[in-house]
Amino acid sequence: MDTLDRIKDLAAKEFSIEPNNLDPSAQLDTLGIDSLSFIEFMFKVEEEFGVSVSDEKLKGIKTLADLERHVAAALATAGKV
Amino acid sequence: MTARRVAVTGAGVVSPLGKSLAEFHAALAAGRSGIGRLPESVAQGSGVQVGALVDWNPAPMFKQAEAANIDRVSQFALAAAAQALAASRLDVASADRDRIGLYWGTGMGGAHTLEGAYKNVYGAGEWRLRPLTVVMAMNNAPGSNVAVRHGLRGPFANFSTACSSSAMALGEAMRTIMAGRADAIVAGGSEALLTPGTLAAWQALRTLAPADPDDPAASCKPFDKRRAGLVLGEGAAAFVLEEESHARARGAHIHALLTGYGNSCDAVHMSRPDRDGQMRAMREALSEASLEPGAIGYINAHGTATAVGDIVEAEAINAVFGAAANDVRVSSTKSLHGHLLGGAGALEFAVALFALEEGVLAPTAHLEQPDPACRVRHVPLRAERIAPPRAVMSNSFAFGGSNVVLIAERA
Repeated sequence: MDTLDRIKDLAAKEFSIEPNNLDPSAQLDTLGIDSLSFIEFMFKVEEEFGVSVSDEKLKGIKTLADLERHVAAALATAGKV
Repeated sequence: MTARRVAVTGAGVVSPLGKSLAEFHAALAAGRSGIGRLPESVAQGSGVQVGALVDWNPAPMFKQAEAANIDRVSQFALAAAAQALAASRLDVASADRDRIGLYWGTGMGGAHTLEGAYKNVYGAGEWRLRPLTVVMAMNNAPGSNVAVRHGLRGPFANFSTACSSSAMALGEAMRTIMAGRADAIVAGGSEALLTPGTLAAWQALRTLAPADPDDPAASCKPFDKRRAGLVLGEGAAAFVLEEESHARARGAHIHALLTGYGNSCDAVHMSRPDRDGQMRAMREALSEASLEPGAIGYINAHGTATAVGDIVEAEAINAVFGAAANDVRVSSTKSLHGHLLGGAGALEFAVALFALEEGVLAPTAHLEQPDPACRVRHVPLRAERIAPPRAVMSNSFAFGGSNVVLIAERA
């Protein structure tokens, strides 16, 4: 499973959304994911991948695709890919 | 202009005696205890032997992910409030929600969340905590969850005065409606603190009953010579309180009128109960309801089954009621559902309403050897059926010296 699929899988569980309905390019709020829910979700993403996304980078994440890029970059930096 | 009166138009219960008002009533009428031995996973090293747990499964009300993000105490609150609103048939969606409030009571709020967080930090050295820790653990989380779920935009308050918290929420909600500041308020309380650390703290106070060697379900014996302390419980109760004409205009069934609220502080000691403080609260409630003591047919006592507390309450009842104390039936149903602490006042108000509406007086279970120092007209062992009384009283007295007394009358 690639990084985006794993993120979608986590999001589907966290927000009770069908994975097929999770458009990676959709704005998070249109998926019904508010800022507080997203911060809690990020905690789980960081646990899942063993990476840390800085507060500054977090602000720039508006979609699941954005999130995937940051996680992938963090994994690369950590030498995990 | 006639005074605004406050009607009870709906009730909901999540308790060790069942998770609906009907189940709760059936257990009270049968005198069935919800107290039992605590599983090892709950008691752990605390030394606490018995408790009154809710047989709780978040599903189907909460999806798995949702349940993980809402503390047990708030899940109880949401379930009880949803029952109360459904029973009231108040159509919140089409009502003026700025005029519908939420008043709640809880002693500890999200104890499970907080203890889980501390366990991570101090137990595992894991300082990275869930971002939702604060909003799950905060004391106003149960009430806020209910307000958010139903869009209750009117007055909001959260009371935390230990064992009188939810009785105070009901009383203050009554005053708020009487003052014209809301048409309706969902009011109640919840508690869910049967965690190993909290149990250890209670055990240190030396006020908890050990397991009855013959029958753990009979471990809490209020007013009995053999009483050995209180048994902690968990759960929630919620009511829809509504300005009477508002309720009548929509044809709501009115279960009772909440007419009296007494609130006093002992101001003498952090834990020792005080007869004078309790008397002042009972007298204030009677005075507000404009009732003589003889109008009260049933008192749901605070009756925690501690050595001193039961005697002081019996003395206070006798001092306030005088000759009428010979007639008023008194029971402590903590013998059945345990002590819900912040949720106790609301749950026991539901017991009092059962007496008021149906004339079913839930018993002080296991009361085989009444303590002569607790001389009141008991409802021992089994439920008693009487003609529905004109009015009932519910007492809630707390650590810290807070005393709250509620009176409800037939509609």
